[in-house]
Amino acid sequence: MPMRHLLFMQVTEPRSLSGFLAEYWPVVLPALLGFLAIYLLLPRPRGSWGVWGGVCGAAALVTGGVCLIHWVAPWPEAILFYCFAGLAILAGGLMITQSNPVYAALSFALVVLSTCGLFLLQAAPFLMAATIIIYAGAIVVTFLFVIMLAQQEGYSSADLRSREPFLGTLAGFVLMGATLCTVQRAMATPELDRAINDLNAVVAAGAVADADYILGSPAAKGEPRPRHDQRLHAIIETAHRSIHDDDDPIINTVFLLEKDWQMQEKGFEPLKKHAAEVAKKLEEVRTSRGTLAQGQVPGKPELKAGVLPHRNVEGLGRVLFTDYLVPVELAGVLLLVATIGAIVIATRHSEVLR
Amino acid sequence: MSPVSLENYLVVGAALFALGLIGFLTRRNLIILFLSAEMMLQGVAVNLVAFAHKHGNLGGQALVLFIITVAACEAALALALILMLYRRRKSLDVSLWQDLREPDQDPVVDEEPLPPPPVEEPLPHLTPAGPEPLQHTEETSHV
Repeated sequence: MPMRHLLFMQVTEPRSLSGFLAEYWPVVLPALLGFLAIYLLLPRPRGSWGVWGGVCGAAALVTGGVCLIHWVAPWPEAILFYCFAGLAILAGGLMITQSNPVYAALSFALVVLSTCGLFLLQAAPFLMAATIIIYAGAIVVTFLFVIMLAQQEGYSSADLRSREPFLGTLAGFVLMGATLCTVQRAMATPELDRAINDLNAVVAAGAVADADYILGSPAAKGEPRPRHDQRLHAIIETAHRSIHDDDDPIINTVFLLEKDWQMQEKGFEPLKKHAAEVAKKLEEVRTSRGTLAQGQVPGKPELKAGVLPHRNVEGLGRVLFTDYLVPVELAGVLLLVATIGAIVIATRHSEVLR
Repeated sequence: MSPVSLENYLVVGAALFALGLIGFLTRRNLIILFLSAEMMLQGVAVNLVAFAHKHGNLGGQALVLFIITVAACEAALALALILMLYRRRKSLDVSLWQDLREPDQDPVVDEEPLPPPPVEEPLPHLTPAGPEPLQHTEETSHV
């Protein structure tokens, strides 16, 4: 099957606003609460709504965690993920709403540390160490130095005013909502899950009666057999929707599955066989959707899709100095140029420019 | 199979990126603007590392290393520039530089007045606990 890009996948579009809300309420609800929280918490000269903003922020975090985050079991990894992700987003929100730049810099350090925890969960220990050393160790400390050098007495309009707080927050949350909707659409496969479960149950069933129980009860004797039941109908529709290639032989199998169901006099075995075939195909589709396009690095059999090399530092070094050798050299040149530039800019006296 | 799927990391990355964008658009302190830009980079880095883990390809992690490099360069240059700007105007407010705007744009005028500056508490006056000790000029001259 040719790999199709996700963005071009045919998905039923919700036409109306209510349809959109019904489909994407797990995204819209936390985004709305977060919008309220950030808007209320952004610094203003007067009229503080801090308490309500904090309540909205907490509600946004909780609803986001419940609606948007899915995990398999409460494993240590899932719990750690919750801690690090929640801390990162909380500290990010604090950073942009703090009026004191020192606290903002410290919140940014917290964001960086939580992100490093996420890196560690994603099997990137070297990046974790590098990020802690460079961001939290060097950049944040330099920021604190600059804040110290540029200390102002009392309140300043730089810290106590926001520029267009409503429009800015709206823009940010529209961007976030659109991104999250795309992620949801790309990743969610509830119909596929249900169809595969039903088909597997049919395959595992011992007799026609069990299959009838799964796919719907058959009509009583003498009455015309219903064309197909809702569950079978859902399976067929899902298969047609998720397999776009009309030349694929599996479409024919789906058709045969429907026939088998309508004419059960032929026996149970063909139904089972076709159900197994369709289930296998649908599982393939689900896997390819979940991982997007599984890329295999050509000429590098040690880099298999889904498996990172055992030794992270060694693997990263090998990748950097074989595949990315020129970018590494360029990065070195960039660092040198930036160092020289920073020294030249910072040591030039302002009187010369005036 | 990992209990935490790729999607969850994408959610965190999107949230960090959006928060950084909001900070960059709304705040007026130069330093906080810069921190917001760095936070957007963090969101992108989370995404890249998550995809690297998903595909078993270290290219994503290598890209994050380059992001860190560029962020360090950016930090060095931007902090030097911020210091220059602070020396010129004695403030970190970006709106003081709004004479660099497009010619057909209206200037931003702050309507709400700032609250009065906080009153510093006067230092306490302590009652002397005893007579002031005499200073010996010979001893202090040695110091």
